[in-house]
Order: sequence, then structure tokens, then C-alpha cells
Amino acid sequence: MATSAISAPRPTSLSRQFVALIPGLLLLAAVGYAGKLIEQSIAIYTKSHHITFPNIEYVLWAIVIGLVIANTVGVPRIFAPGVATYEFWLKAGIVLLGSRFLLGDVLHLGGISLLLVAVALTLSLTFMHLLGRIFKLKPKLTSLLAIGSAICGVSAIIAAKPSIDADDEDASYAIAAILALGAISLFTFPLIGHSLHFSDKAYGLWAGLAVDNTAEATAAGALYSDAAGKVAVLAKTTRNALIGFVVLAYAIYWASRGQAQAVGNKAEFLWRKFPKFVLGFLLISLLATLGFFSKPQLASLANLSRWAFLLTFAGVGLRTNLRELGKQGWRPFAVGAIGEVFIALVTLGLVYGADKFLHL
Amino acid sequence: MPEVKPAAPRRSISLDVYAVSLALILALLVRLNLIPPVKW
Repeated sequence: MATSAISAPRPTSLSRQFVALIPGLLLLAAVGYAGKLIEQSIAIYTKSHHITFPNIEYVLWAIVIGLVIANTVGVPRIFAPGVATYEFWLKAGIVLLGSRFLLGDVLHLGGISLLLVAVALTLSLTFMHLLGRIFKLKPKLTSLLAIGSAICGVSAIIAAKPSIDADDEDASYAIAAILALGAISLFTFPLIGHSLHFSDKAYGLWAGLAVDNTAEATAAGALYSDAAGKVAVLAKTTRNALIGFVVLAYAIYWASRGQAQAVGNKAEFLWRKFPKFVLGFLLISLLATLGFFSKPQLASLANLSRWAFLLTFAGVGLRTNLRELGKQGWRPFAVGAIGEVFIALVTLGLVYGADKFLHL
Repeated sequence: MPEVKPAAPRRSISLDVYAVSLALILALLVRLNLIPPVKW
């Protein structure tokens, strides 16, 4: 039985797999475009009626429409494969966004981000482990929550899970907590940023350093302003680049306690865990810096990046199931939430200091 | 009975490679003016 199952051809051909993506892709496009239309309609209406009304970015509308669909009628199975591509569009969008950065800016802001990430990382990992002990969470669940909240959310947890031999259940708890907190940060970060009168750069840096999941960090930045969204992506990308080092450290720690497989070739391990889209981002930024693209071409690349993000933001709302998140139990969520507030405050202080002394 | 190996966790890596490839192809098409200017 096993032989036939292994040697049998894959149940769906490549063309069928592609066709299966179409309904979900259309849904992403429809939800994202509806968000864009709402933003434009409100702007036109308020302008023609001389009403003063704050501009609410399409990002928020796309996420809210997605959330409403996912948590009322639900997303039928036929849309699931296409909706799951939102992360693909996010990464393609980030690579294309590289065209809006000169390499010098990437090195300057990326360098500051790296410095702040290192400080925040050390403090947040220590704090999360302390919380895990206080709330009596399983040590590996605490490790996953610490990695997820200190580095980059869901992808960091997925990268770390096999490396430290964590349970599926622990991973899903940690992912659920990170996703729930990411959804909350989408609505709280812009409000805090506005109330503190942050500059676009300072706010973008804060969102990129404090919001866990890359999609949510990009959205939280874009909700503030276009310029803040750009900086948030850069800061978050710097954080993502460190994923391999942190996962390697945890893998070595758990292997030394005999609770995970020993890491063989460390360089190979780091390369395997390294997010490759960071290299694409740097390459496009290098090409833009060298004058490979004309001004209108740079504008086209920036707009392509915006369209890719539009699909991503629709996906963020559509894949957030609030009922499922609520079922995961309160303790991992409490540890995650307290940890997130701590990280948000630490990074807020760091960004404030960097803005004052390093002149962002 | 042959041993069934669990699927290797390579999904995110492939996704990155595909996403970077698509972005680079689009950048090349824009550079060679093979697609019209993209509006927002």
C-alpha cells in the first residue's frame, strides 16, 4: 500500500494547482481593490463637500473587509489556495520595494536597525523566558514564543520548530498568539504613533522593530504613511535577516540538553534559514543606485510593489479567524501579550533615542 | 515496506526563490520597456 502511494503520480498536476489558485487570487484582488476604492471615494466625497476627515489608507479597509468576510460568512475552501499566496506577494513586493531605496540609505537605516534589533533582541529574549517561567509554560513553547516575538513572527516559528524538535501543538499555540497580537498591533500602533507625533522615519522604524509578522509590520507602517511603510519594511527585513542566527543558537542550546538533533554544518544551516528575499531586495536596491532604471521605470517598480502589497493586506484580513485564535487558551496569549507590550516599549525608547542622538 | 519520509520543511525557501524570481523578471520587463508604465 505504501509503495503504491509513494510511486503514484501527484494527485494534481502543475496546471491544476495553478487553476486552483485563481479563485483565491481573484478574491484577494477584489478585497484589496475594494479597499482602494473606499479610500478614494471617501477622499473625493469629503473634498467635494469641504469636510475635514482624516485620510484612512486603503490598507485598513482591505484588512477590515477581509476580517469581516473571514469571521462572518467565512472563506470557502475553493478560495483557500489562492488566499494562501498572500505571503508570496508580500515577498515579491518587498523585493520590488528595493527600487525605492538607494543602497546608502539601506546601509544607514539598516545599520541603525541592526544595532537596535540587537539590543531589543537580547532584552526581549531574556524577558520572554522569565515570563514563560512565571506562567509555567513548557520551555519549548516559551522558546518558540520568544523567537516569534523577538525576530519575525510566524516564519521564525516555522523555521525554529524542526530545529528544536518542538511539538506541533506548541507551534500552533505560538503562531496563534503571534497572529492575534499582530492583528491588535495593526490598530494600536498607528494611534500611538500619531499621539506621540512621530516622524515617518521614526514611526516606520518602530513598527518594523516591534510588530512581529512581516505582513502586519508592513501594514502597520503603511497605515501611518507611505514613507513610514517603506522604512518599516526595511527595518523588518533587517530583523528577518537575523532569523538564522537566533534559530541556530536555540538549536545548539536544545541539542546540548539532548532534546534536539545536533546541528551539523552551521554555515549550511544559516544559509538554509536565511530569507532569500532579502538578497533580492538588496540586488534591486543596488541596481537602482547604479542608475539601471530610469525615473519612470522606478515609478513603475514602486507601483508594482504597491499592487503586490494590496494583495498581501487583503490576505492578512482573510486569514485571520478570531474564533480560532480565541480557542488557543489564555496562557500563551498572556505571555505573548505581556512580552509584546514590553518589546513595544523597549523599541519605542530605542527609536526615540536613535531619533535624538543618531538623527534618523 | 518502504519508509515514508516526512516532507522536508522547504516551503518557505521555495516561496522566497519564486517571489524573488517573479520580482526580478518584472524588473527586467520594466527595464526593457516590455510592459506599459504601471499606474497606482
